[in-house]
Amino acid sequence: MSTITVPLPKTSPAKSTVSSVVDWIRRNYYVARSAKALITIYIVTTISFFVVHLMPGSPVEVYIYTLMAQYGVSYETAQNQAAALFSVNVNEPLGLQYLDYLGALLHGNLGNSLLSPGTSVASVMLEYMPWTLFSVGVALFISFVLGIVLGMVMAFRRESVLDHILSFLGSLFHSIPNYIIGILLVVILGIQLNLIDIASMRGSFSPGVKPAVSLHFFLDALYHAALPVLTYVLTTVGSWMLLMKSNTTSTLGEDYVTVARARGLGDWRIMTAYVGRNAVIPLVAQVAVAAGFAVGGSILIETLFVYQGIGWVLNSAIAQRDYTVMQGIFLVITFSVVLANLLADLLYGKIDPRVRVQSESGG
Amino acid sequence: MGDTVMNHVASSGGDIANTADVVLSVKDLWIEYLTSRGPVRAVRGATFDLHQGESLALIGESGSGKTTLGLSLIRLLPHTARIPQGQITYRRKDRTSEVLSLGAEDMRRFRWEECAMVFQGAQNALNPVLTIRDQFVDTVQAHRRQGQRQIHERAEELLRLVQLEPDRVLRAYPHELSGGMRQRVLIAMSLLLQPQILILDEPTTALDILTQRAVIDVLRRLKEQLGFATIFVSHDLSLAAELADRVATMYAGRIVELGPVDDIFYRSAHPYTKALLEAVPTVVGNDEKLISIPGSPPDLRNLPEGCPFHPRCAFVEDRCRTSDVPVEWVSNRQEVACLRWRDVRGEVKS
Amino acid sequence: MATTTLSSNQSPTGNPALRVFNDVVGGLRSAMRVMGYNKAGMIASWFLVVVVVVCFVAPVVIPEPGPDYANIYAAPSAVHPLGTDFQGSDVLAQVLRGGEVVLVVAGVAAALSVFISITLGAISAYAGGGVDTIITGLADVVLTIPNFPLLAVLAAYLRLNNPILLALLIAVLGWPTLLLSVRSQVLSLKERDYVEAARALDLGTRHILFNEILPNMRAYIVMYFVTSMTGAIYAQVGLYLLGFAPLSGDNWGIMLNLAWYRGAIFFKNSFWYIMAPIVAISVVQFAMVTVTRSLEEAFNPRLRKEG
Repeated sequence: MSTITVPLPKTSPAKSTVSSVVDWIRRNYYVARSAKALITIYIVTTISFFVVHLMPGSPVEVYIYTLMAQYGVSYETAQNQAAALFSVNVNEPLGLQYLDYLGALLHGNLGNSLLSPGTSVASVMLEYMPWTLFSVGVALFISFVLGIVLGMVMAFRRESVLDHILSFLGSLFHSIPNYIIGILLVVILGIQLNLIDIASMRGSFSPGVKPAVSLHFFLDALYHAALPVLTYVLTTVGSWMLLMKSNTTSTLGEDYVTVARARGLGDWRIMTAYVGRNAVIPLVAQVAVAAGFAVGGSILIETLFVYQGIGWVLNSAIAQRDYTVMQGIFLVITFSVVLANLLADLLYGKIDPRVRVQSESGG
Repeated sequence: MGDTVMNHVASSGGDIANTADVVLSVKDLWIEYLTSRGPVRAVRGATFDLHQGESLALIGESGSGKTTLGLSLIRLLPHTARIPQGQITYRRKDRTSEVLSLGAEDMRRFRWEECAMVFQGAQNALNPVLTIRDQFVDTVQAHRRQGQRQIHERAEELLRLVQLEPDRVLRAYPHELSGGMRQRVLIAMSLLLQPQILILDEPTTALDILTQRAVIDVLRRLKEQLGFATIFVSHDLSLAAELADRVATMYAGRIVELGPVDDIFYRSAHPYTKALLEAVPTVVGNDEKLISIPGSPPDLRNLPEGCPFHPRCAFVEDRCRTSDVPVEWVSNRQEVACLRWRDVRGEVKS
Repeated sequence: MATTTLSSNQSPTGNPALRVFNDVVGGLRSAMRVMGYNKAGMIASWFLVVVVVVCFVAPVVIPEPGPDYANIYAAPSAVHPLGTDFQGSDVLAQVLRGGEVVLVVAGVAAALSVFISITLGAISAYAGGGVDTIITGLADVVLTIPNFPLLAVLAAYLRLNNPILLALLIAVLGWPTLLLSVRSQVLSLKERDYVEAARALDLGTRHILFNEILPNMRAYIVMYFVTSMTGAIYAQVGLYLLGFAPLSGDNWGIMLNLAWYRGAIFFKNSFWYIMAPIVAISVVQFAMVTVTRSLEEAFNPRLRKEG
């Protein structure tokens, strides 16, 4: 891989500033990636807006008519309430509504929940997002670390019994849908074998326990997150393992490993700094991406285990037709995914010295 | 074992204990690779001594076994290789050790401390995620307890010796340096622990002509200054002419001729050596035709009976096709494995 | 990715439907051939064939199991080998009949996905330039949008009476992943000699795409299809489980939903009611992933073990 060099732009007088700015953006790795992320978020915002407003039986209209039917208010009153809740005015043409929406977004205003009037969507987000981040974070960490270690072991002991067993298990758990693994955990461990107490693991923390910065709370949270985390780890560790195994195997064949042995370096040093570090590089970038997808896929696992994170809220919002919350969560999830992807790209630049931007020419 | 009986009609250069300044003694070394179609013998009965401070060139085509021989000296052959027979005796001051019997930890110490090998094609010889400085530190700290400051200073010294600018190079990552610079970094790194022996595998291949020149000059100067023994493995005879004290030519895994550089070049006794010499065009154009060696490189799985070179030899006779070829002494410093060496030296072809 | 160079048994330029059929069959045959050395892949493929046959034959042969309220959550017996469900209906019958809809929806979704991604992918790779940028940009955006949440939202609000609509929805969100693979494959094939020759002979873009490039991707297309199906089954069953897809009928997804929410987990005897769809789905998914992986190994010799 060659380094991406950014020579200082020789501004020729004929070149317009716009095209040279565009050029600079395209050449600077970090800026280009960030620009792309922003564009994606913008597109998704737009899509989500139009999806909500153009779906058959537009939720806004449905809401207005529901209000009218339930409370017998006039169309205008209902409309005004809708405007307040959705941050839109249905009288305006769609284009203006869209701009209003964007404006509100930029102020951090995601609207209010339809079902709990007075609760802003943003506050819902803040209340439930940390739980998802917690479980996804813990799960990702365990899965990644376990995957790297096992992957390296498999590479060093290729074709051994351990290698075959781990490959098989990893592949098996990866192909079975994650929610099914979750159900299996409950059914087999909980019901049939009575190993775990399902009822008490429900929810994100035990009733009566106050959220606080304390070890007790942390352990309690872990206890409740155990099933989602276990499900997640089981279904993803296989991919990390196989990826690390193949990376390690190819790294082992590299010249610098042979030369390192010729230099008399110790086995441990070679394994960590020469093989491990090089093999793990592509995976580290993947971690951020995986995190993004985990947040997106959380709706299934959290609903299954009644773990009150952002996915569970989304599910109940869909079921109860709380359109503003849905829209908000959708945005936040997408934003997380985009952010995660961006982080992955930036991270890759940081850890692999070959993919760097140099401002001096030559090397 | 073996299909050729190596009758080493020895006089001088015999037992290592007798000669005070022999640092490495290889005796009857056989190396084979296990393939799905049976073992392939890459090195057959190689025997030579390396004296203190001398440079020995191992010359041969690809497939001649020279790289394999080099790798075997530090026991970094691939997993598929086996050494069914032979001895590699290493001597430092008054202590000798048998390299092939060293345990893992001793072998690790042996590598780079006593004998360092600089591989060919330094493209990927350095860890891409560590700076050059870190790799110097790694190398030293694997063998000695030394502070980074000290290592840094020594690295600077060595880098200057190979004509590189220490500040810039030490801070850099391998991909930021050119191929020639990386090669020189490796050479500098190889001297870190002051080994007695330096093995250089094709040190100038894949470098442009100017860098080749620079590297050769560096090597020559280093040898003069630091006095280590060197083994050059190459197909390039001109390299041998520049840097070697003794030259060994290898063919089909066998050392077919070994002697001082002048004797090899001007009084060669083996048809292969002679052919190699004749194949090199001279700059001083004399309108000589380019003579390439007829035939193709040997198939190591399917060697002919008798002398392995006979299908391509200009001096071949009937007995070459059938009988084993012993090593004979041409003089007290030159040895050859050819039945007709006298004719070769006197240029009588049949 | 190394492509197996297939002998060009060109389908006659005639009826396009016939040509497609020819290509599909050819693709299947070359896929099977290419996978021939891999035992796991072969076993998995034959297993899938058996599954498909059973799933399509069973609904015809086995009548819909009626409710039997005296026998709710019965334990496995000779009459009901897998027990009964919350209504007393036979579980075994349900699980045998339950695969058809799942496979059909997945198959249609996969076919659509493959079709869209091949069309767009080929055009994108072949045309290059602005068209390429737009299409890949679009694919990127769709890829970034969290697939399942969007699917859930849309499925909940669009009245999906027909399973085919569900398939459509899944396909619309699923094609970008394939597009990137298709595109890179076409890009590499574009440089091949016979394509250059065809271009020099001025044989026309459509001809080149359909007669030179695509036939050589036949085996890959099979792989894409199987991968797509795996994803479609995942999405489908997930939607059923959450209750966002129409809960009529008795396919595996609905069985799973009912078993989970109607409390099968509280009755030890009803273990098989929830396990039956689980085993069915898992086993089919695993077989498909195995097939995909062995196809991948076959195409990329570096992945193969020494020997």
